[in-house]
Amino acid sequence: MARCVETASPILMHHLLHMSVFSQSFSPCGKFLAAGNNYGEIALFSLSAALGPDANELSQKPILTFTAHEGPVFSLLSTDSHLLSAGNGEISAWSWAELIKKCLCALPPSLRSSLEIPEINAMALNPADNSLAVGGGDNNVHIMDLENGAFKSVLQGHTDYIHCLSVRERASEVLSGGEDGAVRIWDTRTSQCVHCVEVYKYETCARPQHGKWISCLTTDSDWMLCGGGPSLSLWHLRSMSPTSVFPLSGCQRQATFYQDMILTVGEGQCVSHCLMGGEVKAQIPCTPHSINTLAINTNSTEHRVLTVGGSSDHIDVFTNLSYKAFSLRF
Amino acid sequence: SALAGRTSKPLINVEQKASCDEYLALIYISIEAVTEGICSATTPFLLLGDVLDCLPLDQCDKIFSFVEENVSTWKSSTFYSAGKNYLLRMCNDLLRRLSKSQNTVFCGRIQLFLARLFPLSEKSGLNLQSQFNLENITVFNKNEQESTLGQKHTEEKEDGMEVEEGEMGEEEVPATCSIPIDYNLYRKFWTLQDYFRNPLQCYEKFSWMTFLKYSDETLAVFKSFKLDDMQASKRKLEELRTSAGEHVYFAKFLTSEKLMDLQLSDSNFRRHILLQYLILFQYLKGQVKFKSSNCILNDDQTAWIEETTKLVHQLLKEIPPEGEKFSAMVEHILNTEENWNGWKNEGCPSFVKERWVVDDKPKRPVRKRQAPEDFLGKGPDRKLFMGNDELTRLWNLHADNMEACKSDDREFMPSLDEFFAEAIEQADPTNMVEDEYKVVRNSNYGWRALRLLSRRSPHFFQPTNQKFKSLADYLDSMVSKLAKELPKDIPSEEIKTGEEDDDDNGDNLLKESNDSTFQKPDSKMVSNQQMDDVAAKLGAKWKTLAGQLEMKASELREIETDSEDVDMQAKLLLVAWQDREGTQATVENLVSALNAASFTQIADNLNDIDTELGPVP
Repeated sequence: MARCVETASPILMHHLLHMSVFSQSFSPCGKFLAAGNNYGEIALFSLSAALGPDANELSQKPILTFTAHEGPVFSLLSTDSHLLSAGNGEISAWSWAELIKKCLCALPPSLRSSLEIPEINAMALNPADNSLAVGGGDNNVHIMDLENGAFKSVLQGHTDYIHCLSVRERASEVLSGGEDGAVRIWDTRTSQCVHCVEVYKYETCARPQHGKWISCLTTDSDWMLCGGGPSLSLWHLRSMSPTSVFPLSGCQRQATFYQDMILTVGEGQCVSHCLMGGEVKAQIPCTPHSINTLAINTNSTEHRVLTVGGSSDHIDVFTNLSYKAFSLRF
Repeated sequence: SALAGRTSKPLINVEQKASCDEYLALIYISIEAVTEGICSATTPFLLLGDVLDCLPLDQCDKIFSFVEENVSTWKSSTFYSAGKNYLLRMCNDLLRRLSKSQNTVFCGRIQLFLARLFPLSEKSGLNLQSQFNLENITVFNKNEQESTLGQKHTEEKEDGMEVEEGEMGEEEVPATCSIPIDYNLYRKFWTLQDYFRNPLQCYEKFSWMTFLKYSDETLAVFKSFKLDDMQASKRKLEELRTSAGEHVYFAKFLTSEKLMDLQLSDSNFRRHILLQYLILFQYLKGQVKFKSSNCILNDDQTAWIEETTKLVHQLLKEIPPEGEKFSAMVEHILNTEENWNGWKNEGCPSFVKERWVVDDKPKRPVRKRQAPEDFLGKGPDRKLFMGNDELTRLWNLHADNMEACKSDDREFMPSLDEFFAEAIEQADPTNMVEDEYKVVRNSNYGWRALRLLSRRSPHFFQPTNQKFKSLADYLDSMVSKLAKELPKDIPSEEIKTGEEDDDDNGDNLLKESNDSTFQKPDSKMVSNQQMDDVAAKLGAKWKTLAGQLEMKASELREIETDSEDVDMQAKLLLVAWQDREGTQATVENLVSALNAASFTQIADNLNDIDTELGPVP
């Protein structure tokens, strides 16, 4: 973790020591990774440089770093052309083409929308109707039309702030998980809450010692993974019942389906590989002690890597899921 | 003769394309001829060598079968010494012509033949110098442009291999890879092979640091990447094999970067690498005669090797299937290797036991080393040296153990009045001691009382009609009898009341004989002054005394070299004697030695000087 002493000042080292990475997003071409941290900065990394045979230390540093928001960048999302970032109540859209060209000096974001809400924790894209679901600190889910940037509707129902969002494309539904411990399923057309599951009420999942909040939510059409205070559990959406509960000790913050496995990260210095049946197959050690975000670059086969970021200025890159190959550094 | 007729024609007539059978027939005749004594023993071998040199490989096969079949002939005394070098050269030539990967079976046969022909300790078959095959270089991709997948290998290519390469080469455009590749690990991993190829590099500081770093990283990957899904890796391997056509075994590693992921998920591959580590460590730690003297490990290196060995075994245990068993087996094999290493260090002695030659008369036992006289107490002072001052002193207190045991102060048996005094007092009715408190009721006391009575008291043996109900009652009666007799001396067989004798004996045993003031004048230590006097008188004749003082020849030589002056030499002799004797360097002993060496006058002088000086405190 030692940096070149010549370039690092004590302030910089302090800055790095306390950095946390909250969000990640891959470019549409799959060659770049954008990562957002707690200082409101977004860094752009070139994966092709870092993965190339001639990669060196410099290739693992950002090609571009800029301050996007005043507060932490909790959420990053990519559309076909733009990078959307959200922090404290404002959503900014940055053109990927411009970012890649690194001409960001005097450019304001292409679009900036403000909501009168304290913070935005999650964003989810619904390609069906080109809308963006935004979950905020005001306990509501806001749906924004990406065509014109206007907010179409508000989904109300949660009694505490929203942690995470997921879109179930086939059924045109949005799932939201919140601090109140509820997972709500909303029909985007009617803007009504179709289901509400209070996960902490299920004995198999509940972990009262941790709490009831849901910090992690993801769907795969028929299945849903959710976790946080309660254990990470796999739910069958049709029957709305938990089929497997995963014996992971920490609170999970992000999970994803990958091939026939489930990859999940959270409290704990590892990426956990789990099977649908509830078994934890492997736990691969990583650099950050606590991990906030996990992303798989599905936009490119050459650069199909897994990246994780958390309470560290290092973002671990896995070329092979079973071991950490190297780290990108802010 | 038949042979003469044959040899007039050229042996190999290319135009006629003589068949192998004809050659073999000729060679067979030559063997017969040797047995008959017609030609020299080297003839068949020369013929064989020539034939094999001229024939193409497929026909060499037939000739070689003949060679194999006749191995017992070659091993017989007539042929062995003459032919073994020829055979060896012939086999080596053949091996050079053959490809290990294409003619594997033939190469194997030749090796087996050599193994049968030569004894285990045959020097040509042993890598006596413990050299490494430095040519075994592992090629891997150091630059993007040179993907090894399209490259020719340094070995001869064979059909199977070409097919495989061709297929894979066509599928991919070399420029870009379809999967992300961890070049960092790839390069470090394959660089390690160079250390396994040439372990001596490990003794160089810089190379060692690199090795350490790369090993730590690689082993960390093995540790992190645990293999548990056997089915998945098997499936992948099958895919690899089927795409290559028929399965061919390659002795060398495939080092394409695209295969790295697959290789990492393969159990056998990991076992290969981990085993390489263990073998390397064994070499680095081991005593190999041919390692140069600067090839030693420092403490840090040794510590790292210990740690890493444990890690490697742990990793081996985790590799399915049956990792534990594998690890145990590997450890066992490496332990056995130590024996072979030791055998090599001794210069590979032969394992053949020589036949015992049976003598008619039994072999005389080797003459026992004559025990030095001093040990047997035959020295001038008749002393036994026990090798240790204290033991010597104790042993020599009394020459005869039995006599020593009989000395008065070893008399521990109490007298009757001593022992029974208490009982008698208790028996007195005026003392009003209750029965149960009487000492005669104590079984221990009673037993001892009986023993004492049997030794000292005639009452014990007097027949009596009294019937005693218990030991205590009997003792009561005895006590009363003794009480009556007490004032007078009790006549007894064994009784000894000679207390006045005790003092002398006690002194001798308890006190150091040298420290006692009752010591006889002769038994005190020789003083410096006395030694000087004796030395002056001895002069050049000190060597005669040396014999009596039981000095070793080496000591004498030392004395001679230490000083030219004879008086000084004599003095040195006495000093040496004194050092050796320690507390036994007494005047008495020196006097007896002098007397024995016929220096009676000097001995007398010594005594006189002694008495003149008076007793030494």
